[in-house]
This record gives sequence, C-alpha cells and structure tokens, in this order.
Amino acid sequence: MEELVVEVTRTDEKGNQKLQSFNVPKDKVSTVLEALLYIKENMDPSLSFRYSCRMEICGSCGMEIDGKPHMACSTTIESLKSDKVKVAPMKHYKVIRDLAVDMEGFFGKYKEVKPYIIRDDENGKYESEILQTPAQFDEFIDYSMCIKCGICMAACPIEGSDPDYLGPAPLTAIWRYVADSRDQGAKYRLEVASGPEGTSRCHFVGECTEACPKGVDPSYAIQKLRGSMVKYEFQSLFRRH
Amino acid sequence: MVEENVKNLREGPMGWAKFYRKGIGYFAFAMHRFSGLVIVFYLYLHLFVLSHLLVGKATYNSLVTSVTYGPFDSFLVLDVLLALVIFYHGANGTRLALNELGIGLENNKAMFYVFEVISMVLLGIFLYYAYMFLGAS
Repeated sequence: MEELVVEVTRTDEKGNQKLQSFNVPKDKVSTVLEALLYIKENMDPSLSFRYSCRMEICGSCGMEIDGKPHMACSTTIESLKSDKVKVAPMKHYKVIRDLAVDMEGFFGKYKEVKPYIIRDDENGKYESEILQTPAQFDEFIDYSMCIKCGICMAACPIEGSDPDYLGPAPLTAIWRYVADSRDQGAKYRLEVASGPEGTSRCHFVGECTEACPKGVDPSYAIQKLRGSMVKYEFQSLFRRH
Repeated sequence: MVEENVKNLREGPMGWAKFYRKGIGYFAFAMHRFSGLVIVFYLYLHLFVLSHLLVGKATYNSLVTSVTYGPFDSFLVLDVLLALVIFYHGANGTRLALNELGIGLENNKAMFYVFEVISMVLLGIFLYYAYMFLGAS
C-alpha cells in the first residue's frame, strides 16, 4: 500500500518544538486536512490543529505546507507530487499548540479598520434602499471574498519583521469598503491606512496575492488604496477645515 | 489567552532573504533590500575615501592608488558588481514607483522583467564606455 509521510512540526505548551513523522495510507486520504484527521483518529489523538468547514469557507485550517502557507482542506495530496509532506504552524503567529496558532493579533488589526459599512444616516434609518449599479458592485466584490484565514499575513515578509504593520488582509478590507459606493467611512479608513503602520509599510512583494486561497488580490488592493490616499491628501490641501 | 512563553514564529528581517520557492515579486523584493544595503555601504565607503582629502592630496592619492593598482586591482571587479546592483536597484525602484502611482499595476510582474532587461542593456553600454575610457587613460 502506498504511504504518505506526514512530517509535522509539533509544539508543546512550553514552546518546545519537535518534528514527528506519521505514515498515512494514501488511499484513505485526499487532502492534507484528511491526512491530519487520519493521524488524529488512528495514530495520535493529541495532535492539535484547527478546522471546521473542510471546504475552504471558514478559513480555520491555514498552515505551512511544504514551506508555504495554504489551507489544509483544499491542498490535495495529488497536488503535492511527492510521497512526503512537511506541515508546520503558520509563520508570524504565536503557536498555541502543534498547528493551532493564536489569531487574536490578526483579528485585532482587522477590527481596527472597522470592516463594516459606515453610514451618516442617523440610527441606520434610510429613506429608501441604497442602490448600486453593476459597475459599482464590481469595484469591491472581489475583495469581499476574503475569508479571514490569515494566510496572507503569514506570507508577508513585512508582517514577519514588523508586528505593528496592519498587514495585507486589514488593508484589503479598507479598500473593500473605500471602493463600496454605499460606505461613508472613507475619512476614518484612509487615516488608518495613511498611518505609519499602513500602506507605507507595504513593499509590493505580492506574496499575499500568491498565497491567497480565494483569489483575492491584496497587493493590488493596497496599491489602489495608495492611489486613493494620494488623491484624498491632495484634495485635503484645498478643503476647508 | 496565550501564555508569554509560547513559540512566536515571527521571522524578523532574516525572513526577507528567504526567496527560495516564492514568487518573482519576493525575489525582486529580496534583491532590492540587498542591493540597497550594498549601495548604502558603498556610499559610506566612498565618503570615507573622500575624507582623506582633508588630510592632504598625497594621502588621498596614495590610498586611491593602493586600491586601484597592483595586487588590489580586483577592485575593478567590485566596481562592476556595484554598477550591477545600482542598475538593478534603479530599475526596480522605478517600476515600484510607477506601480504605486497605478501605472502598469495589472502587469507588474512583466514590468519587472522588462525594466530589468532594459537596465542590464544599459549596464552593458555603460560598462563598454567605461572600459573604453579605462583603455584610453
């Protein structure tokens, strides 16, 4: 029977790391997540990792697979083109245990950009529906596909060297709402983006775009955001305060 | 809540150099950092050498002669490498500036290749004329 060697970087509660290999029968699993579940059910129940939907929607099972951040649920064994796979926790996060990382820092940054529609209407009462043309819808829909898996944060080298940098996903969320014709919170968002830990820290590496499992293009969004910020700052020179 | 003694996998600036098996953008980024550091190092080295003019013409001439003639004329190779990183850095920097202004954003990877090819052609022309100048002097 053909076997897949799964080499897992395991971390205990004291932060000690070790490599552990498991031989998984290839005909029993089709994805990396299934291989990990096979190990947990048949070999080592103490193996810890986070997962939920198993269909690339919940964004829970992000991990380093053969040195690059991927979703374990959508990485097929066939695509590995090898009989061995190295699995490790996502970079730039603190490890809770084994492959489960602490996402609090990432979610904190995400909350900072207020990822929801801000309106000037009082108490959210509108006189009528807020209509959008298909063109206005197309401006932001691609960026609303983000599932907050945090993989782009693990792929970004700047995020790895500057913990305060907002990072690709929160900056993409800013652009998603700035580009949305219904939103009226651009002033707040552009101020966050133009701060010292905003878009100026992005060096357009593009690894976030390469890694994103949902095809969102964070590096493109950040450059678009930069353009909007330049326009906003230029207009503010002629604006009465 | 995570305890303070847990493993933090933040790579730090050393992670900038790990472009193996990454996209071309990562390679461009890593080389941009490296070439930038080389240029800054050269700037200070250049100022250090020029500062010998404060001591006197003879001191400066003797220092310059010691690094460009005799057993140390391999500095010429370093000059060529310096020109290489300057042309690379300049071309990639121009591409980034244009991309950040929204020019060529959709084709940024192709732009990287085009700009680098142009810069290497310019480097070749520069080195040819520098060699001619060297031969004439």
